Amino acid sequence: MTIHPHDLTPGKIAESAACKVHMLDPVARFSLRAHEPERKAVADALELDLPWYVGDVAKTGETEVLNLGPDEWLIVAPEGQTDFASRTVDAPHALTDISDRELTFRITGPRASDLLTLGCPRDPDSIKPGQGRRTLFDSATVVLWRDGENDFRMDIWRSFAPHAVSLLALGCAELAAE
Amino acid sequence: MSKFRVAGRGRVRHDAPVSFTFDGRTIEGRQGDTVASALLANGTHLMGRSFKYHRPRGPVAAGSEEPNALIGTRRGKGQYEPNTRATMQEIWPGLTTTSQNKYPHLKFDLGAVNDRAYMLFSAGFYYKTFMWPASFWDKVYEPFIRAAAGLGVSPTEEDVDTYASRYLHTDVLVVGAGPAGLEAARAAASTGLRVTLVDEHAEMGGALLSEPHVQIDRLPAWDWLAEQIAELQDMGVKLMTRTTAIGYYHQNMVGLCQKLTDHLETQPHDTPRERLWRVRAGQVILAQGALEKPLVFDGNDRPGVMLAGAAQTYLNRFGVRVGDEIAVVTSHDSAYHAAFDLADCGSRIAVIVDTRALVDDALVAECARRGIPLKRSHTVTGTAGRLRVKSVTVNAVEGGHVGKGRAYKCDALLMCGGWTPSLHLFSHTKGSLKWDADAQTFLPDRMTEACQIAGAGRGLWGISAALQDGATMGAEAARALGRDAAARALHAAHDRPGTGASHTELPTDQPASRAKAFVDFQNDVTAKDLRLAVKEGMRSIEHVKRYTTNGMATDQGKMSNINGLNIAADALGKPAPQVGLTTFRPPYTPTSFGAFAGYHRGDHFELTRRTPIDGWAEDNGAVFEPVSLWRRARYFPRPGEDMDAAVSRECRATRASLGIFDASTLGKIEVVGPDAAAFMNRMYTNPWDKLAPGRARYGLLLGDDGYIRDDGVIGRLADDRFHVTTTTGGAARVLNMMEDYLQTEWSDLKVWLTSTTENWAVIALNGPNARKLIAPFVDGLDLGDDALPHMSVTECTFMGHPCRLFRISFTGELGFEINVPARHGRAVWDKLIEAAAEYDITPYGTETMHVLRAEKGFIIVGQDTDGTVTPDDAGLGWALGRKKADFVGKRALMRPDLVLANRKQLVGLLTDDGETKLEEGAQIVLDPDQPKPMVIVGHVTSSYNSDAAGRPIALALIEGGQGKMGETVHIPMPDRTIAAKITSPQFYDPNNDRLKL
Repeated sequence: MTIHPHDLTPGKIAESAACKVHMLDPVARFSLRAHEPERKAVADALELDLPWYVGDVAKTGETEVLNLGPDEWLIVAPEGQTDFASRTVDAPHALTDISDRELTFRITGPRASDLLTLGCPRDPDSIKPGQGRRTLFDSATVVLWRDGENDFRMDIWRSFAPHAVSLLALGCAELAAE
Repeated sequence: MSKFRVAGRGRVRHDAPVSFTFDGRTIEGRQGDTVASALLANGTHLMGRSFKYHRPRGPVAAGSEEPNALIGTRRGKGQYEPNTRATMQEIWPGLTTTSQNKYPHLKFDLGAVNDRAYMLFSAGFYYKTFMWPASFWDKVYEPFIRAAAGLGVSPTEEDVDTYASRYLHTDVLVVGAGPAGLEAARAAASTGLRVTLVDEHAEMGGALLSEPHVQIDRLPAWDWLAEQIAELQDMGVKLMTRTTAIGYYHQNMVGLCQKLTDHLETQPHDTPRERLWRVRAGQVILAQGALEKPLVFDGNDRPGVMLAGAAQTYLNRFGVRVGDEIAVVTSHDSAYHAAFDLADCGSRIAVIVDTRALVDDALVAECARRGIPLKRSHTVTGTAGRLRVKSVTVNAVEGGHVGKGRAYKCDALLMCGGWTPSLHLFSHTKGSLKWDADAQTFLPDRMTEACQIAGAGRGLWGISAALQDGATMGAEAARALGRDAAARALHAAHDRPGTGASHTELPTDQPASRAKAFVDFQNDVTAKDLRLAVKEGMRSIEHVKRYTTNGMATDQGKMSNINGLNIAADALGKPAPQVGLTTFRPPYTPTSFGAFAGYHRGDHFELTRRTPIDGWAEDNGAVFEPVSLWRRARYFPRPGEDMDAAVSRECRATRASLGIFDASTLGKIEVVGPDAAAFMNRMYTNPWDKLAPGRARYGLLLGDDGYIRDDGVIGRLADDRFHVTTTTGGAARVLNMMEDYLQTEWSDLKVWLTSTTENWAVIALNGPNARKLIAPFVDGLDLGDDALPHMSVTECTFMGHPCRLFRISFTGELGFEINVPARHGRAVWDKLIEAAAEYDITPYGTETMHVLRAEKGFIIVGQDTDGTVTPDDAGLGWALGRKKADFVGKRALMRPDLVLANRKQLVGLLTDDGETKLEEGAQIVLDPDQPKPMVIVGHVTSSYNSDAAGRPIALALIEGGQGKMGETVHIPMPDRTIAAKITSPQFYDPNNDRLKL
């Protein structure tokens, strides 16, 4: 199954008895970087909770913050709710708008976690519900959020999305046929 | 029903006949049969011809180690597969199979003449036989060898099947579902671990499938087996049949190939033919069992000669007697049981020949009870029969002397030379082996991976031992993973482990030069070949292997390696462990290319990155070219235009009025933090301290060798924030290089890098009308030359979208680059095109971009540089911040060879005739009349027809070129030599007046 970039609009991409793939509406997305000694100061200034453990997600209102590495967080917020981005932060840090870099897909269904194994070399069991990780899918870098046992979100760079999503769509059918 | 089928015996469904064809003949088998077992049930042993000598061959084994019975299978159009092992292919109604390596018929084959000319095909024959005349090699010898030697024919149609792949993480992977594997899986799973159990056969059970008489825990073997499988399923063990562990790689990654549809009459929807699993296991338990070893004697390859264990499997698993009148030759107890089972099912055992003097009394008594003649201290010196064995010659051996032979009539000859632990996967891990002198075999020794080996795979014979060892190793694996585990003890009754002796070739009274005693059936290597190799000077087992090709066929020496080693060791006069074993290579069994390719074929073969504006280019007839993973519009031909015409028009229109270009693929890196400028100073050659926010600068990046790696325009958005652009192809590389320095050399810097390539769609507008077009869209922002001069950047709103607007130019014209969030790129582009109708806006592609920049003498990294070009070579010395304390590559630039005056330097070239376009890559000489080989002083790097210059232009790297302005050089071509003049690389508007509009 081939998916073209123009097929990628928010809504259903593929669905079977095994899993569903939906493209989600755009969100505001920021990359936040700071070293550990400054984490608390940056968190206080941004008025966000910055989780310490790699893979953990903290929620402040509707804003989610995922720790991607020892000095890296991914902030996702509803569009227009990005007050934190304009607050003054004195501590050394870097905040970069990457809202349009990725597209986000929601992967659900009884075989959602098996669907990921078609292209993801990481053990899905190692991501607990409520956590996230940066990993690969079909050789593209993605951020995988596990919102529930069978509920994932995948952020993927926009030009890689058609390729990766066509594999997800094919997998929906393949898993349903098992 | 055929007389060879034994009613009520085996696991086939006797009430479910299945018809398929072999060489056009309809064969009736039973559901559960393989092609081999069904053909044997019909009395057919002849299934193919051999690799080199085209000798008639039949199955010698019953499993995946089969070297002989290789067939072609066809399931439909585009579904032909050569070299399928008849012993593994399950039958289904309508399956089409064919024998291989025969012309015109399997029973009468012209290629069999090779067999009579065998003296020509001895070890290393291709080095010796076809030496003269030399000219014959290409035209006669090699085509002849290639045609004569080889197995099945490659498919010619495109494969219509689909293939899949998955990753699997499991705590414990158990390879092989025989008694050891089943118990290992159970022991590990009982501790709550995630366990995966795989087996290459259609059903699990391994040796238990061939030994139904065994009782385990007071249950008949097959009842116990069914119970175990059900229990493992209940425990959540992932059970996979028809799944071969093909390779064992670093850090406990095991590749599995699962065959999903080859056994099915109708193809299920959305189901791939095969799936490759990449398994990452906490612990791997290898329970692959042992492979039976053939005996080496003249004529041991005749159809009807097979391993005793295989005959036992055909009888007990498939309900097939392999012959009516069966002879047995063995050096191991296990063959007796095959003979007894067959005798009990109605075959006559003509003779059991045992090479040993002493045989277990119980076995002797059983022979006597059945009236089977037993010949101890005897050997087999030959077989007879053209397409099937008809008799075997048996001789007494006394005190090393071989007595007179006596022929026994038979239609099958079973052989057993003992058992070899299957070490293939263990060998993939480079685990070391130790020699077991008693068993005359290698056993696994030191492990390099988190791995356990259970059962016959480490030399433990018998069902009881395998069950016990499996449970022990399963518990061991669980303990290694931090679980509290205990092994249960099971008792198996009627177990028949047995012992044996090991041999090189069997003793014979025949001249050694005449014997065709095969060691490697698949590659047609005989014992004589191995001895000849040693005689001709091969000392290392690795050389013997390559010289003779022993063990190099697709079966990877499953049957031949140990016999080959023993014979080579004997010929060398050294003990086996000193000679050593060659390495088994993955895959364990032949694996289809489809399985390796997986999903990556057709449209999904490789990722193609497309920009947000790509759809417009496609709709407007763009011709695309790949640039790294991206596809980019190369030019936009109008009807009737070729590339030259289109590019010329695009160039003219851009310089005359306005051109629009999709620059979204340019790499973008946001460098942010209080130390951003310090980082930029160290990374790029240029100085950055004095670049004010709002201004942009051309940045040059070197490797630590001083050579140009990348370049791009860099805008300073704030004191602590730079917007860096890179080349399209360099984006990932540059970010990696920067991160590398930041993390390993300069971890003290408070600066961070974020790729923003895909965050922005970038539209480049170039031409005198560029400002006029965008002025209405920037909310009153002053775009004048004072407010937004050349090489500046501003953050603004463009058509209502947040925008980073650069005033820069890669064309020499007034230029802007509009960066808007990617999702709006297409809409902004559409609206610009619409609004610019009055300026005759012309979309242009990468080819025009290349021409326009070449007219200005701007380099393209990777085209005008090749990894050996310094900034001075490229005429970019002005970009070096010479006063800076350091930058990447600075020290290298002081190396003596990097400051030589005669280095190759970038210059312009104009052909003397003013019409000839040089070829990119063409070599340049100073004197065209010098003798060959000429002294090459450089080469053409870029060459175009330039509309602006009104003639072809070129860039070139020429030794000392910058000091040779105005001199003539020569470019020799196949048909003529072209003269050209060295010029400045700036062909157009050298004073940059057009930028100042």
